[in-house]
Amino acid sequence: MFIYDKKLQYPVKIDKPNPKLASVIISQYGGPDGELGASLRYLSQRYSMPFDELKGLLTDIGTEELGHLEMVGAIVHQLTRNLKDSQIQDSAFAPYFVDHTTGVYPQFASGTPWNAATIAVKGDPIADLTEDLAAEQKARVTYDNILRLSDDPDVNNVIKFLREREIVHFQRFGEALQLLREKLNQKNVYYMNPSFDM
Amino acid sequence: MEKRQSMERYSEGRLPAMAPLANPYVPFQLENPPRYEASKALVRGTLFPGLDLPLLGMVNKNELPVTPLTQLQTMAFMIQELALYLDTHRDDMEALEVYRSYQKMYQDAKKEYEKNCGPLTHMTHNEGPYRWLDEPWPWEYAKNREV
Repeated sequence: MFIYDKKLQYPVKIDKPNPKLASVIISQYGGPDGELGASLRYLSQRYSMPFDELKGLLTDIGTEELGHLEMVGAIVHQLTRNLKDSQIQDSAFAPYFVDHTTGVYPQFASGTPWNAATIAVKGDPIADLTEDLAAEQKARVTYDNILRLSDDPDVNNVIKFLREREIVHFQRFGEALQLLREKLNQKNVYYMNPSFDM
Repeated sequence: MEKRQSMERYSEGRLPAMAPLANPYVPFQLENPPRYEASKALVRGTLFPGLDLPLLGMVNKNELPVTPLTQLQTMAFMIQELALYLDTHRDDMEALEVYRSYQKMYQDAKKEYEKNCGPLTHMTHNEGPYRWLDEPWPWEYAKNREV
């Protein structure tokens, strides 16, 4: 089960509200490469993983991603606090505001609601771990792009932390793939699907 | 166990000399890799200098003030980072030792924090009035103002 731990993984303290910036950062909450998808991808893939290292890693990274979801939600929440109507009129935040006010809703920066089609659970560990490597890279690039759009150091310190976590996760998924291969038929690792045939 | 790597090799990992075709490979991080000290690890987002790869030189250099909350976050981060490392390097005894020492420190720091700031989870027992709702919530500016 999951138990709520009443603290963030990394502090989020944003002095200056900025609704325009919130309207792009929301993509890492519920966008195509965001933290909601990341957590659900890993926490769902783990059921069909054949070895303990893989089950453990997907559980541990999936759980950390839930913590990142909370951090991104905290950024959006703090960027949109105490707003006056005049800060929203003529702002890129207006379309989001009309639908959600200053609630935190899982959607792409472009407005599309979060979609399970952005994640995959193939039920084959090589396919799923390869998907995870790509997912970490796409999330890393999204954080790169946010850093290009933001000049608020309070926001960027947190974004840089989250971006670095993607790199560490990529490394661990790559190692997991190698641990998996060592347990498979060395002549042909595609001889079977170890999630299904073992 | 492999000998401590020289500092200039810390960002390189192990690959098989020959590898099967049609397989993606990420170099395996060598055992006992160099580590940042704990507060730097949290700020950088990784314990390992070899994995610290910032965009366009945008290195995280902010200093977090030392508060009971940031100390707890620092210890929890060390445990998380080492847990992921140990998931793929379960035989690295030195990493296991560091992981265990932070688990111990975390338990003590958590007790102290909860005495002053209220429970972190519903599993923490305390006497007197219901305290779960007392503090600001983690995502609120007010909770993070000090840090």
